[in-house]
Amino acid sequence: MATKTPNEISEELLRPLFHTSWRFFVAFIPLALLVLAAFGAFVYQVWNGIGVAGIRRPVFWGFYITNFVFWIGISHAGTLISAILRLANATWRRPVTRCAEVITVFALSIGALFPIIHLGRPWLFYWLVPYPNDRTIWPNFRSPLLWDLTAITTYLTGSVSFLLLPIIPDWAVIRDKATGWRKKLFTALALGWRGTPKQWHRLETAMHVMAVVIIPVAVSVHSIVSWDFAMAPVPMWHSTIFAPYFVAGAIFSGIAGLIVAMAFLRKFLRLEEYLQPIHFDNLGKLLLMMVLLWLYFTVSERLTTWYGNQSDEMAVFWLTQRGSFAPLFWLMVICNFLIPFPLLAIKKLRTITSTVIASTTIIVGMWLERFLIIVPSLAHKYLPYSWGSYRPTWVEITITVGTFAGMGTLYLLFVKFVPIISIWELKAGLRKSAVARGPLSVANARLELVAEPDGPLTTRRVLK
Amino acid sequence: MGHKWGMVVDLDRCTGCEACVVACRAENNIPTVGEAQAATGRAIHWIRVERYWEGEFPDVRVKFRPVLCQQCDAAPCEAVCPTYASYHNPEGLNAQVYNRCIGTRYCGNACPYTVRFFNWFNPAWDTPLQLQLNPDVSIREVGVMEKCTFCVQRIKAAEIRVEAEKRELKDGEFNPACVQSCAPKALVFGDLNDPASEVSRLARSNRGTKLLGELGTQPKVTYLLRETWQGEKV
Amino acid sequence: MKAVYGLYPDPDSAQRAVDLLRGANVEDRSIVVLSSEPFDEYEFGRREHKTIMPWLAALGGLVCGLGAFAFVAFTQRAYPLPTGGMPIVSLWPNGIITYEFTMLGAVLATLVTLIITARSPRQSARLFDPEVSNGKILIGVVNPPEASGTEVEEALRSAGTRSVVRLP
Repeated sequence: MATKTPNEISEELLRPLFHTSWRFFVAFIPLALLVLAAFGAFVYQVWNGIGVAGIRRPVFWGFYITNFVFWIGISHAGTLISAILRLANATWRRPVTRCAEVITVFALSIGALFPIIHLGRPWLFYWLVPYPNDRTIWPNFRSPLLWDLTAITTYLTGSVSFLLLPIIPDWAVIRDKATGWRKKLFTALALGWRGTPKQWHRLETAMHVMAVVIIPVAVSVHSIVSWDFAMAPVPMWHSTIFAPYFVAGAIFSGIAGLIVAMAFLRKFLRLEEYLQPIHFDNLGKLLLMMVLLWLYFTVSERLTTWYGNQSDEMAVFWLTQRGSFAPLFWLMVICNFLIPFPLLAIKKLRTITSTVIASTTIIVGMWLERFLIIVPSLAHKYLPYSWGSYRPTWVEITITVGTFAGMGTLYLLFVKFVPIISIWELKAGLRKSAVARGPLSVANARLELVAEPDGPLTTRRVLK
Repeated sequence: MGHKWGMVVDLDRCTGCEACVVACRAENNIPTVGEAQAATGRAIHWIRVERYWEGEFPDVRVKFRPVLCQQCDAAPCEAVCPTYASYHNPEGLNAQVYNRCIGTRYCGNACPYTVRFFNWFNPAWDTPLQLQLNPDVSIREVGVMEKCTFCVQRIKAAEIRVEAEKRELKDGEFNPACVQSCAPKALVFGDLNDPASEVSRLARSNRGTKLLGELGTQPKVTYLLRETWQGEKV
Repeated sequence: MKAVYGLYPDPDSAQRAVDLLRGANVEDRSIVVLSSEPFDEYEFGRREHKTIMPWLAALGGLVCGLGAFAFVAFTQRAYPLPTGGMPIVSLWPNGIITYEFTMLGAVLATLVTLIITARSPRQSARLFDPEVSNGKILIGVVNPPEASGTEVEEALRSAGTRSVVRLP
């Protein structure tokens, strides 16, 4: 049981902002180079024409749209942890909440790049935005791509606010502890925060309102992304199950992404006392539930297709079950179910390491699932004479790898400017659970708060 | 009443000679993409002749089916285009406006007939083939979707001519390039709003079916065949 | 700006300080509380709790939603281009856009309300001590009446702090 004073907590959580070790650069530089390579590949693609990618008729969408759906899916991590657990008053969420919200903002930003990257004429992407112009035309709001634009804009605005607002009090703390250029920077960022009860109350009310709003937005975002496929008459796309399937899959991959991020932070920022086994255990249990939910949706979709026995759908069905996409399909089942299920369901096996292994395989499996939804259906549409195949080129692979590296670089930079665990929320939560004095609340807060050594009343009062 | 352009393809007459494919390329400045690109499925054929084989040698039967844009009245490609590059024009054509296209390729996915083609690179013609280009048809740059337009340049030219001459359009006065070049006269084009036109008469034939009609796209191309593809006589 | 304040290490002594200040006839309006965490289980942390923010968020959502529908319908009628056999003003797709803008309106209204209402009145805006960021709770009085003299200081001291600061 670790006992820490509030100041010790602040010092530890602020350490990454003031000290940078060589390990940071060993991680940052290769990732940054990969990002540059991806950018170079994109410039190459725009210069030479989108044909340098592997997409072709009839598979007009490939890696780029897979990545788009994948990253938007990952972004549901923050909504689940921050918003849903906040409304459910789950106090164990407090150390985890900012890690999750950061994933949301960065994953959304990366995901939102792909609709631009995959365009044939990307320099005209802004034509999707409704603004008065002399082309005598407005965008077509009947197109699911316009719904994507509005949904992602709304979700991004909401998520950025959700992330930035609770950081302001922490920036105020840094402002008061920093010197030099950091003091100037954080004074500007803290927006004059002082910490009056009115400011705290307004902030918490705003967080509550946004938590209530952001959950339906997150559900709608991934439903709308799924409707990019479901609204087209393509075999095995045109299915009513797509919206709930995608939302469940998003939350699934989001939790997995969060667990992996937390494991990295725990190891490299030495946050073992803050990101505790109980957090990984709770998230692991949520992940287990999502494994089962994913299985449920996949079986529902495939069973109804099989019973329906429509020739165009069955062509795609067999392609993934037994045909050329079968190896990827069964790999996906192994990654999404066969490996994670025993690791997460059996209590003895559910350790931090096994949860991270399960999460990693799930991330791979969910990427494959997006790929297998998009490509086999397009490869085998209604007229067999026009069936085709798909093979990605180095351009698509480089850009894909680059976006994963981009996520890493953004996260590393973030950790240097913002404490990755919300200091005031953590302290407030510890104080409240200590005051609550119940065995359950103490079990969740294995970190104990101790009064300052120079407190005037009783010197060392350990709040039990 | 305005015009409503439609087509009839008589599969009992089609010999699979593909003169329509060649004529279409010549009329509409369709680029060749080269052997490597064609191998990856990027060749552009606004009209193509699909061939299907039935049976085992020596009892093999070949079936030909020319497939082109069906100019659907309920076109799935129109609703999904974010920039109105694909929309329904007043004469019933599914118009493709190259200038509006930003290349999302959603329409290509939505089309059940796979009749839409994309320019993966800027088109190029080896000299002296550029001398053969049709000045009435614009060249499409990289990133733009294209497909059969029922030779809209010929439609417009004919409409402008008859308006200048202050008369009505006669049935069969002009034809798209594919119809013009079809030797067995398997392709017929005309105004479906004129009940006396040949295309309207043939479209009402009891040999007529619509390709993938069960999808609800309401195509305006009617296929005539004395027997169904499963071998039942009509 | 004149002020007197004390720094308290824990919320119980801070609450005592506020009670003693009230006993010394200091107006609630003049009492300043600053902390590095929210203390809403304590009375001193529950001041000025009334807010219409949720209602403003709902109003913002409604306004943006209706505005979005009107805008989309206007653009569809301005340059009417039929697509896919759907009506020119298509209600269901427009409904999706309306829904998203309703949510965006709620978020923006919340943000704007927060930024406006979280501003401190200019008078007490300059009262701050960096010790607050070290976990201390600041309880003080801005512009204390001259007549009260040392009463305020005594009240603050007896609540349990060694540091009482007088400004200027």
